Amino acid sequence: MKFILILTSALALTGTASAVDHGPVFGYATPVNSEREFSFDTGLIGRYGSRGTQLTSASAIGYGLTPHITFNAYLPGTFGSGSLPETRMAGGGEWSMSASWRFLHSVTSVGKRLESTTSLGLVVPGMQNDSGVLANLHRAPGVAATVASGLASRSQYLWFGGGYTRFAEADHDRRPDTLSWSAVYGYRPSRLRRGYDQWDYRGFVELTGEHTGGVRKNGLILSDSSSTTLWLGPSVLAIFKNVAIEGGVQGPLYQDESESIYGCERVRFAINISYFKFSSHTSSH
Amino acid sequence: MKTHTLLTVAVLFLFTVGAHAQYEQVNLTVFGMDCAPCAHAIHVSMKGIKGVNTVDVDLNTGLVTIKLTPGNTASMRQFNEAVEKNGFTHKDANAIVRGQLTGSTNAPVLEVTGTKDRYALAPLASGANISGLLGKMVTIEGTLPQVPKGKVSDTLRYKTITETR
Repeated sequence: MKFILILTSALALTGTASAVDHGPVFGYATPVNSEREFSFDTGLIGRYGSRGTQLTSASAIGYGLTPHITFNAYLPGTFGSGSLPETRMAGGGEWSMSASWRFLHSVTSVGKRLESTTSLGLVVPGMQNDSGVLANLHRAPGVAATVASGLASRSQYLWFGGGYTRFAEADHDRRPDTLSWSAVYGYRPSRLRRGYDQWDYRGFVELTGEHTGGVRKNGLILSDSSSTTLWLGPSVLAIFKNVAIEGGVQGPLYQDESESIYGCERVRFAINISYFKFSSHTSSH
Repeated sequence: MKTHTLLTVAVLFLFTVGAHAQYEQVNLTVFGMDCAPCAHAIHVSMKGIKGVNTVDVDLNTGLVTIKLTPGNTASMRQFNEAVEKNGFTHKDANAIVRGQLTGSTNAPVLEVTGTKDRYALAPLASGANISGLLGKMVTIEGTLPQVPKGKVSDTLRYKTITETR
């Protein structure tokens, strides 16, 4: 009961740092909801490696409290039995709730914005057990913080971002801390800069990286359980008014992880569908 | 007698509607919109204002054209809010607006009946002689200069001013 109460309170107050909606599908980006806007996301994120596959069905809901503050909740479900490193950018079974604050927002010309957004959230263990080396760990909640900065325009997008997640210890076990970062470039060709009542397409190149610390089990750090990876790949976003569909795939550029523990992760992919419910509310005068 | 009364009420009603037909059209150049949901959000917010008839958004120029129904009581603050709640700002606003010309020849004021909007009038080019229009209902085409977020311009720079008949 206490758990449900805490979870409900958290859901009401916070949200995730997942970069979907108007942005890339893997990397960090700056857009937040407009005031009183609800956003709904659902998608599938996959990781395929030499020691199995992991799929995450991700659902998220966001609400814009002000034009610059958005609350999000992210509720994933996992499938598969892959033995893969902890990740905060490509799925995973933790539920998270966060608040995003667009603390820098410069709109001084037509079709162009410079902005920075940070988010702080609570990460709690999901209903499902993990697989691989993380499977038998006692799990505890953690905190996640992200920051992203960049440019959005009619023709080009450029975002840089980073995040850090730290989990608490439970019965001498602790999930690894995760440091993640991303750089995203997006482009919309001139002939696709059309009216808003037509499909709006843009393409991204997403470079993401993650470093996970060692896995603590019974008070000891498992040897070779930390990992560092770098991923690169394209994604495409299509939007019609208030519906968005996005898909992307990434391959490894660099991997420093124990093959005996994690094998070799080869591909990451994601597909996401978003729906935005904008508010028509204005004051009477 | 009954017919006469009804006719009088109808004429008075029509006059009232005419007097309350304030903003006819407002054109805003909005900064910061990069994609379709941005434009759609502006469209939904503007359509939520009572009295707005049509809204057209051009993403490439940032131009938002709002046409209003006769008898509306929409205010400039509502148009600004619709832009700002979506995280954008707008440049000068061009408007065609009706209201009563008050003040003096040297310091004319437009009182937009049915709203709290009140503008000090200044000519965009050389000043026209508006002394004959004081106290009358007028239609003005002009520009509201850009102001900081959350505020409404208190000056309307008029291009044309004509008596409303």
